Amino acid sequence: MKNKVLIVLMMLTLSALVRAEGFLDSVSRMKWGELDVVWIEDDKFPRFTAAIYFQDGALNDSFSGLTQGTFEQITSGTSTQTQREIAEFFDFYGASIKSNVTHEYSVFSLQGLTKDIDPLMNKVCSLFTDAQYPSNELNSYISRSKSRLKNLVTSHSSLADRIYRQLSLSQTPYTVPVEGTLSSFDKLKTQNLKDRLSELNKVKKVLYLTGPAEVKNLKEIISKKCNWSSENGLKKLSLNKPAAQSSIYLIPVPGANQAQIRIGRYVTTDEVQGKYDNFNFLAGFLGGGFTSKLVQELRVKRGLTYSASAYVSMQRDYGRAGIMTFSKNESASEAITIIRDVFNEVSVGKFSQEEFKHQQGHQIGGFLFGFEQTEAFLNQIMLYDHQERKLEELANYPEHIRSLTQEALKQANLEAFPWELLTIVVVGDKSLEKSLSQIRPVKILDYRDFL
Amino acid sequence: MKFWFVLFALLMGCSSVKEKKTLSDNINIDVKEIKLKNGLTALLVHNPKLPIFSVQLFYKVGGKNEVPGITGASHFLEHMMFKGAKKFGKNTMDFIIEGSGGSTNAYTTNDQTVYYENLPTVELERILDIESDRMENLLLDTDDFNKERQVVLEERKMRYENSPKGQLYLEMMQTLYKGTPYGRSVIGDIPDLKSVSREQIFNYFKRFYAPNNATLVLVGDVELSKAEQVIKDKFGRIPSSPSVEEAHKELKEADFVPKWTTDQVIARKGESPNPMFMMAFPTYKAGHPKGYALDVLSSIIGSGKSASLINQYILINKPVATSMYAAHQSLEKSGFFFVGGELVRGVKLNAFRNDLLKNMKNYCSTEVTARNIQKIKNNYLSDLYSGLDTNAGLASYLGERQLVFGDWSFYKTELDMYEKVTVDDVKAACHEVFMKPSVFVSVWNMHK
Repeated sequence: MKNKVLIVLMMLTLSALVRAEGFLDSVSRMKWGELDVVWIEDDKFPRFTAAIYFQDGALNDSFSGLTQGTFEQITSGTSTQTQREIAEFFDFYGASIKSNVTHEYSVFSLQGLTKDIDPLMNKVCSLFTDAQYPSNELNSYISRSKSRLKNLVTSHSSLADRIYRQLSLSQTPYTVPVEGTLSSFDKLKTQNLKDRLSELNKVKKVLYLTGPAEVKNLKEIISKKCNWSSENGLKKLSLNKPAAQSSIYLIPVPGANQAQIRIGRYVTTDEVQGKYDNFNFLAGFLGGGFTSKLVQELRVKRGLTYSASAYVSMQRDYGRAGIMTFSKNESASEAITIIRDVFNEVSVGKFSQEEFKHQQGHQIGGFLFGFEQTEAFLNQIMLYDHQERKLEELANYPEHIRSLTQEALKQANLEAFPWELLTIVVVGDKSLEKSLSQIRPVKILDYRDFL
Repeated sequence: MKFWFVLFALLMGCSSVKEKKTLSDNINIDVKEIKLKNGLTALLVHNPKLPIFSVQLFYKVGGKNEVPGITGASHFLEHMMFKGAKKFGKNTMDFIIEGSGGSTNAYTTNDQTVYYENLPTVELERILDIESDRMENLLLDTDDFNKERQVVLEERKMRYENSPKGQLYLEMMQTLYKGTPYGRSVIGDIPDLKSVSREQIFNYFKRFYAPNNATLVLVGDVELSKAEQVIKDKFGRIPSSPSVEEAHKELKEADFVPKWTTDQVIARKGESPNPMFMMAFPTYKAGHPKGYALDVLSSIIGSGKSASLINQYILINKPVATSMYAAHQSLEKSGFFFVGGELVRGVKLNAFRNDLLKNMKNYCSTEVTARNIQKIKNNYLSDLYSGLDTNAGLASYLGERQLVFGDWSFYKTELDMYEKVTVDDVKAACHEVFMKPSVFVSVWNMHK
């Protein structure tokens, strides 16, 4: 039986490699003036995606939410069109525009039908050159944003994510929320947003495209209409490792009949350099599916939760390693203890070869699914570029995972999840204080301080 | 609309496409349909892009087939289907699928329960063996059954008790369809979930999990003749259920007609500081000609930043809401049109409800224009591209139609119906539906 498994693994590896190389061949890199362009040819459908990467993000905000507001309100009006007219324009073409702001970079994406490429891109350029951020629309945006944020308490999971992020990154500039705070929204003014847009128009950009050959028509429009330059982007940051943690943070919320649990820490670039794939493998091993270690221990063996997941994700200058789960109030401390025990066991190599091989099969066989949708592949390339990693690493992923040792997994767990460095956040009922204090001293915090 | 055919031409390499007068004439998804003697329907589509495939098994059983006392049985059974069957043993299925790089999950609705797997091509035979094993010989181990009961209860809390949107939807369905099979909770009432026995679930399984109540859809890089043979080998021996047809016949359409005749206004205390609401109107079952006009109407009113509700209540100087949406939901036996959203604090709910009703009636005249209808058709095209971009997306598209209409190619009729929708159709449907009494449900921490 074991031989059969190995044969299947080898077949999958070879197959995946062949296809991955084929996909890398479909990636073209070009220069359109100062603009770097990456194009994945895809003529399955007559549609295109243009994702503009800005090497600048929320770290450069003078107050929380500035970059996010700049992108989200870019459709709020130009000198010739109202917000309503702009929305009607994109909707009529069946096109979608969206933005994604992180601390280190931002992306503005346009997706539409290929036949409409000219009017759509012309409109996007007009937004970047002529967005006016009318004060009435801006005030409406501020009012809605504050209202939504005040209501975050109804989603204990989203609230836990927000609080955990702020606490686990508290020693770094990444602790400031990208999306804004109740107090920072009031600082958004028309001129602030115009100034920020002007900065974004100047920073280094890369245009990521998918679609048929017609997408090359964008070159002329962008060079003539967008008025973008490509100066330097965000400077590199260097972080120290997180300090030891001595408490569990308990954040009481009204009506909690479940406890949301977040455990993890930030990781530095030095810690993951050259070991991205090992950490990715670890995340899958701990919490990457129904058969992962944590789901087996928490859900299958004990029925304590509906879901548990693990991640080790990186931007360019920092990353995060974490566990997300939830449980009944009465079993929250048991769930945390089990997670700690799993960390301890994996760190000393207390897992079977079968479990290890299983995870190898999972990641090698699953590799190809990342190429099924071209947009997903595009996002993968964008992240690799941002991290300044070579795309060949992606092609080599199955081979690397196949050659990984159990010792490497053990080491990755030791490095990513040392218990004393992990921030533990529980959003739930106040009565949890007693049981949680058996694990670590409990600090009770008010959720409103994180809005 | 003239671009519809291009999608299918490009998606199906071997499709034949010639531009003719209507959309349905131009479209040909190349599906191999198989019908086994025991009643199993299988739909096969070849897509050689990558050495992967998606398999989806649709069972025609869901919340509407349950009876008081065993609400949630379909969903509970869905969980137990992952716990093992005779040939492959206890708790092995997930390991086999994920160990080969695949993924699996399932979902349960009012009308159906669907299991799906995405796998590398080399796993074709084994996954069909697993699916046939659990269709025929589910273990329903007692220990696993009792542990999974706890997991389902936690899922219920996550989806409904701790979610204002879940609370709203559940309350809306229970009010709209009170006294009908659609008025029961798909995830189950808590007392039923705590008391339902293994024997009750087993009997439910034996009745509904059979080849004559299932459709298997396979899309991907598989050799169709080989797949057909494997399906026959693995599923051909499974006996059909003698009582499932009778079970479906027992559910008369008249039993699904909402029984209330005046406006229903329900206020539920919840944890949400902002009031959240849903308002629903009864409409038509899936496939009804007026349903397509109502689909278009719901998009005009509630989809995209230029939608009527967004412009009326959100993108204004003093926003009344932070989110608004509209949709038309077509179920197998009935349908409903609903709008919903999250309001800002300080809005008076009764006044808002009256204003919303008045405006929605006005939309029938002011918003239903030729341009808006064309806009919605353009958007449907984009959405269809996205929906059919993966093996799983195409499998789901075909399986849904086979299960609800008994004909996977019914999509042709649907595309025709959308193409033919006119301003007058939408206006007529709009006036008719919004004149009916409605259900208005709200959740708010200020309610008593």
